[in-house]
Amino acid sequence: MASFRSGLTAWARKRSIWVFHVNAASCNGCDIEILAALTPKYDAERLGVELVPSPRHADVLLVTGTMNPLMKDRLKTVYDQMPEPRLVVAIGACALGGGVMRDCYNAGHGIDTLIPVDLYIPGCPPNPEGIIYGILKLVTGIPDKPEEAQQVVS
Amino acid sequence: MSVESMQAIGVETGGTVTTSKKAIVLNVSREKVPEACAKVAAMPGFYHLSTITALDLGEQIAVMYHFWKGKTFAVVKTLVPKSDARIPSITPAVPAAVFYEAEVKDLMGVFFDGNPYMKGRFVLPDEYPTDAPAPLRKEADPAKIRKMLKLE
Amino acid sequence: MSDNTEGPHYTESSAGLMEYSAESAMPFGPVHPSLKEPEYFKLILEGERIVQVMPRIGYVHRGIERAAQDRTWVKNVYLVERICGICSFSHSLAYTQGVENLTPFEIPKRGKYLRTVVHELERIHSHLLWLGLIGHWAGFDTLFMWIWKDREHSLDLLEAITGNRVNKSYSTIGGVRKDLPDGMAEKLKTEAGFIEKRLDYYEGLMSSEETFTIRTRGMGRINQEVTRRLSTVGPLLRCTGISRDIRVEDPYAAYDEVIPEVMTSNDGDIASLVTIRLDEARDSCRMIKEAVDKMPSGDFKVNIPRAIPAGESMFHVEAPRGELFYYVKSAGGSTPERVKIRTSTMANILTGVEMLKGHTLADVPVVLTGMDPCFGCMDRVAVLEVDKGKEWSIGGEALRRYGIDYYSKRRGNK
Repeated sequence: MASFRSGLTAWARKRSIWVFHVNAASCNGCDIEILAALTPKYDAERLGVELVPSPRHADVLLVTGTMNPLMKDRLKTVYDQMPEPRLVVAIGACALGGGVMRDCYNAGHGIDTLIPVDLYIPGCPPNPEGIIYGILKLVTGIPDKPEEAQQVVS
Repeated sequence: MSVESMQAIGVETGGTVTTSKKAIVLNVSREKVPEACAKVAAMPGFYHLSTITALDLGEQIAVMYHFWKGKTFAVVKTLVPKSDARIPSITPAVPAAVFYEAEVKDLMGVFFDGNPYMKGRFVLPDEYPTDAPAPLRKEADPAKIRKMLKLE
Repeated sequence: MSDNTEGPHYTESSAGLMEYSAESAMPFGPVHPSLKEPEYFKLILEGERIVQVMPRIGYVHRGIERAAQDRTWVKNVYLVERICGICSFSHSLAYTQGVENLTPFEIPKRGKYLRTVVHELERIHSHLLWLGLIGHWAGFDTLFMWIWKDREHSLDLLEAITGNRVNKSYSTIGGVRKDLPDGMAEKLKTEAGFIEKRLDYYEGLMSSEETFTIRTRGMGRINQEVTRRLSTVGPLLRCTGISRDIRVEDPYAAYDEVIPEVMTSNDGDIASLVTIRLDEARDSCRMIKEAVDKMPSGDFKVNIPRAIPAGESMFHVEAPRGELFYYVKSAGGSTPERVKIRTSTMANILTGVEMLKGHTLADVPVVLTGMDPCFGCMDRVAVLEVDKGKEWSIGGEALRRYGIDYYSKRRGNK
């Protein structure tokens, strides 16, 4: 994560954030808001954010959903395929800690039990403005110490 | 589609008819289910299978086939004992039932003889053990299921 | 390869039901990174054509029917609307009306009209979403961006009326949660008029743009035999000429007074689905204007005691994707004994599979989106080339780009 912030590479990376999106058993509400963030009204693309087809091209992983057993392995594989430096954003109440589905028999307690999360964006679903704000805050404001790395955006 | 035609089917299949606000229910024994469903589906007008619902009643499981014919639901209902939860499948006559029966098999543990989706899991994850009770049964506990699936 | 103006046809040889053998009961292949989630499809190719499709669902199975038994009647509204983010109001509407049918109470007329307005706004937003997505999958990204920009108008209206864009929690047991804000009635009419004009423009665009039409005309063709056999619902049913709509057959909310027009087509292909959904969205604009004009004054909700009397109730609504069926059983307590939900996509998966047979890999994104799975369901696809004995897998976005390249090469060769 330190390499993300230093030098010309970091300057360039901050202005061109390639995201890969994984839906780990979500109701699609958050996914639609992520897509809405890329469309002309909220327009994350003017900030350099682009949705890419493969995790191997991505800087930031956006995850929604509670993560049920069928999606667990898949999420881990996607995470492993991302090259470093990589960041993970958990979007929506379900990815944070299970959300409204917390006590359902086939729903997990959020994704941070499986992969390390760098930013949490709460909401059910969060506004596209909130999603853009979160991603920008993540990329521009990463502290040097790993302990301070986890932030909550509200 | 009227109560009389359902009663006629009831006579042919040995079932009884009850009515409620929006549904005409034909209660039959499980062996007669494919015949009753085929007859309901063949009634004049348009046939449409909305879904198949299963209810855990303690010692028995009620399985209901909801047909929609415009204005009212025609429901074919049967009871099976929990210890021997098997029903002949209606898919030869009503192909739309394939997925609905598969879902009932996964979630309530009722086996449909003749349905091609009876092996393996349909909506549940593959790691759901075959000896564990089906999740919608009264004896199944969501907390235990979560532990089994390692979801904590 | 036949000329695309004819398009691949529904093959009579397919039995319609898949053989689901014990070997294919395992997760397909080694671990696959899944993009946008559920409904993993295994395509079996012979040469270039798809001969069989095996879906595996369950990726979004969370156990909601069981969880609904542990929550009170009102709390279930919040649970049930999060089954799907696109048709969330339809879920809460079907649930609340199902529960209200168990009680002797009658919902006041204004509440019914308000439900109708929000229901139609949701239909507009869902159809615009789909129209944009079909443009995106067919390579027409400009259309996708423009339509989603106009879709924001309907979402702004929803936010102004209900307080949220997606999970609105507007319908409650007894009516709706709150009344229209001041000035909202006029705003609804203006915005509905604006969306209608934009839809007219998109209709012209989608029928004249050749790069789009060659990918939708003649694709995914089905006929009445398929839809009757498989109990298809929604626009997929209406595109084969069968005129059925739950809002007309079994009116709920205010649909007995604000009557929808049922859009059908006889072509049974993706292009006719585009036309039907566009027409439905336009008709929704018309209905919103009419509902606002006819809206009675008075209460918008009635207080219903928390313990619902024992009984069972079946209720269905016409969600944007088709019939959404709810069965609710009460034992007289404060929580339901059983809530059974059958979503419209579940009813349409087999029809989607029929639509795919006979097509090539390049057509898969458009045809599968045509069946309107609840958002990008087909994202992980496994391909089995039987005659070559090869098995490989491809992701949704890569498949989309493959389709675009395939068709642009074909146009170059003409």
